[in-house]
Amino acid sequence: MTIIKISGLKKNYPLGNTTVHALREIDLEIEKGDLLSIIGPSGSGKTTLLNIIGCIDRASEGSVIIGQKEISTLNDREITDLRLHKIGFIFQTFNLIPVLNAQENVEFPLLLMKKHTSGEVQRRVEKLIEEVGLKEYRKHRPAELSGGQRQRVAIARALVTSPDIVLADEPTANLDSVTGESILELMKKMNEIEKTTFIFSTHDPNVMKYARKVVKIKDGLIAEEAAS
Amino acid sequence: MKLIFKIAWRNIIRHRGKSLVIGAILFLGAFLMTIGNGVISGMDRGLQKNIVEGFTGDIVLISDKQESDNVFFEFMGKAVEPVYDFVKIKRVLNEQDCIHSFVPVGKNMVMVLNDVEDGAPGYCSVLGVDFGRYLEVFPDNIMPIEGRLPESDEQGAVIPTGSRKEFFDQMGIWYIPQGEVLRDENLIEEAKENIAELKCSDNIAFMGFSTDNSTSDIRLSIKGIIKYRALNKIWGDFVLMDIESFRQCQGYFTSLDNSVELSDEERQLLELGSNELEALFSDDALIENQSEPDVIQNNAEDSFVHTQEKSKTTDIDEGVYNLVLVRLKDGVNKEKSLKSIDAALGKENLGVRAVPWKKAVGTIGSTAVIVKSALFVFVMLLFFVAIIIIVNTLSMAALERTSEIGMMRAVGARKSFIRMMFLGETGILSFVFGGGGILAGILVVNIISALKIKSGNDVLQLLFGGDTFRPLLSMPDIGLAVLQLVFVTFIAVLYPLKVAGSITPLDAISRE
Repeated sequence: MTIIKISGLKKNYPLGNTTVHALREIDLEIEKGDLLSIIGPSGSGKTTLLNIIGCIDRASEGSVIIGQKEISTLNDREITDLRLHKIGFIFQTFNLIPVLNAQENVEFPLLLMKKHTSGEVQRRVEKLIEEVGLKEYRKHRPAELSGGQRQRVAIARALVTSPDIVLADEPTANLDSVTGESILELMKKMNEIEKTTFIFSTHDPNVMKYARKVVKIKDGLIAEEAAS
Repeated sequence: MKLIFKIAWRNIIRHRGKSLVIGAILFLGAFLMTIGNGVISGMDRGLQKNIVEGFTGDIVLISDKQESDNVFFEFMGKAVEPVYDFVKIKRVLNEQDCIHSFVPVGKNMVMVLNDVEDGAPGYCSVLGVDFGRYLEVFPDNIMPIEGRLPESDEQGAVIPTGSRKEFFDQMGIWYIPQGEVLRDENLIEEAKENIAELKCSDNIAFMGFSTDNSTSDIRLSIKGIIKYRALNKIWGDFVLMDIESFRQCQGYFTSLDNSVELSDEERQLLELGSNELEALFSDDALIENQSEPDVIQNNAEDSFVHTQEKSKTTDIDEGVYNLVLVRLKDGVNKEKSLKSIDAALGKENLGVRAVPWKKAVGTIGSTAVIVKSALFVFVMLLFFVAIIIIVNTLSMAALERTSEIGMMRAVGARKSFIRMMFLGETGILSFVFGGGGILAGILVVNIISALKIKSGNDVLQLLFGGDTFRPLLSMPDIGLAVLQLVFVTFIAVLYPLKVAGSITPLDAISRE
């Protein structure tokens, strides 16, 4: 079942008198439950593609349909709600709210949804904290956690609302190789457990082995699309 | 909401430097605002008590012929036009529900004649009053420091300490009450230095300055030396004398004159103004049968006589006054009351108009308004500066937290959540520090009030609303300070809220 359908996607940035074509003509379909890796060198357009899929940025041309919704037609409030209910994010660096501890960070999106009882929130958060292996650190604030632990909290937070899609922009970029691999392992595991579509970008070819599908982007175009 | 306040509170603690800066501004602003409100309120109460309740009343009725509304402190003490028909005026005033009490008075300048050969005369303002009635309307205004206050029907004068000093400076005579001994402790320094040669007198001779120049010399015994309970520096130049003596001194139609049967024509002649009188001298139409006051006319330069005690079989109100001082009931709308009284008097065509006390005291009233306005402007400036600093600090704080706010927006926080978070932070700071400032302000106002700081300076006395600096904070004043704080907080946070609300997840990514 197709969960994301991208057709003729273009993204241009004005830069002085010239225009930078970050994405030239992207056509892509992503199935539910996929574990998709978008790879490419720096500046190839993978972050821009993720931002548009995540409704963080808007396309210059083309269409992006998530579920049944064409996102270019949505207003700011609808887009925010779409992000809250359908999409989870794992960023490279600025991942967590510094003044909340690990557990509070994970429950943050659930509290924004305002549709769960405190008991439901508690159970869901505890389950995910345990699954990402941070039970002992749940009361620690981000400043008291290592980079890998922070990314685990971010993964738990991205999954806590049971979104259709989790987007991770270079989730291992700031981590050492061992920690990075453990994070990727965790994402793979969560993809299997939660049946959530994972899309992550990376410029590290070694990451490919964790993905079931790899999309290679070069100069704003899909250069290669293959099952791993 | 709980989540918002949790994040807001923890952000305050996390960014304690900025929080302290904003908190300090809010504290200082609320503190100064509260004190400012206290000073303004104390001044208002002081002026109300010391001028309105002590001297002028809320409304002053003056003659329609009076050019300037400033009847108490007009330049060079220009004569105040007489008011006739007080009996009718009284009837109209008695019908007004808004009036608490009223008293008619004579008011003019007089020359004080010097008993010392070739001695310079003195000058002062006098109020002619029925002492009993005057004290009923202004019971707390004057206190005798030597001698006593005259009875209702008693002839005599009471001299304020300020006038006594002036007379000594101008004339070299130290006035004391009749039957009293010289009190060294009340002597001014210059008098003490020459005590062996000090010339004292227990009676005083006045010559009136009325509009028609038909004035008389009159000698009165001094019944007491008084001090005005407040603003003695300002009111201290007003000598009080009994109304009948005042009328004789000013050459006015007295109540005793009324005992003589006068024709309507004669009465009209007596009530003519100076210009009209001058016109009369051009022909032979002179007043006949005019009763002679028991004093020597002012063309008899060297002879002073005591006015004789007369039996008061006539109504004192039938003579001439200059002003009617009206006190309103507490809580009535003063502007509306003034209009209604003015309209009622106008309807009866009584030749008087009602003016508010602030106009009647001229520059003193306007100085009070200016000082009050200056304080208000100061408080508003304080608001403005506080708002600018808080806006700047909060906007910077919002921009510095772009990553955090952008990430919150990315994971599903609406703009309203971000705005509420900022509003929560500012609200907590405002509540804690601003509330602290208000409490500190209340404390300081109470301490200052308890210290009873006194001043002899005229301007400071106006600022204080009396001789003593007594800032006052009532519940409405505190409520006003809270409202001002809420207003400042709200205005100060508007722009930062816009800045914070406009941060997008993409801003956060671009920043990274």
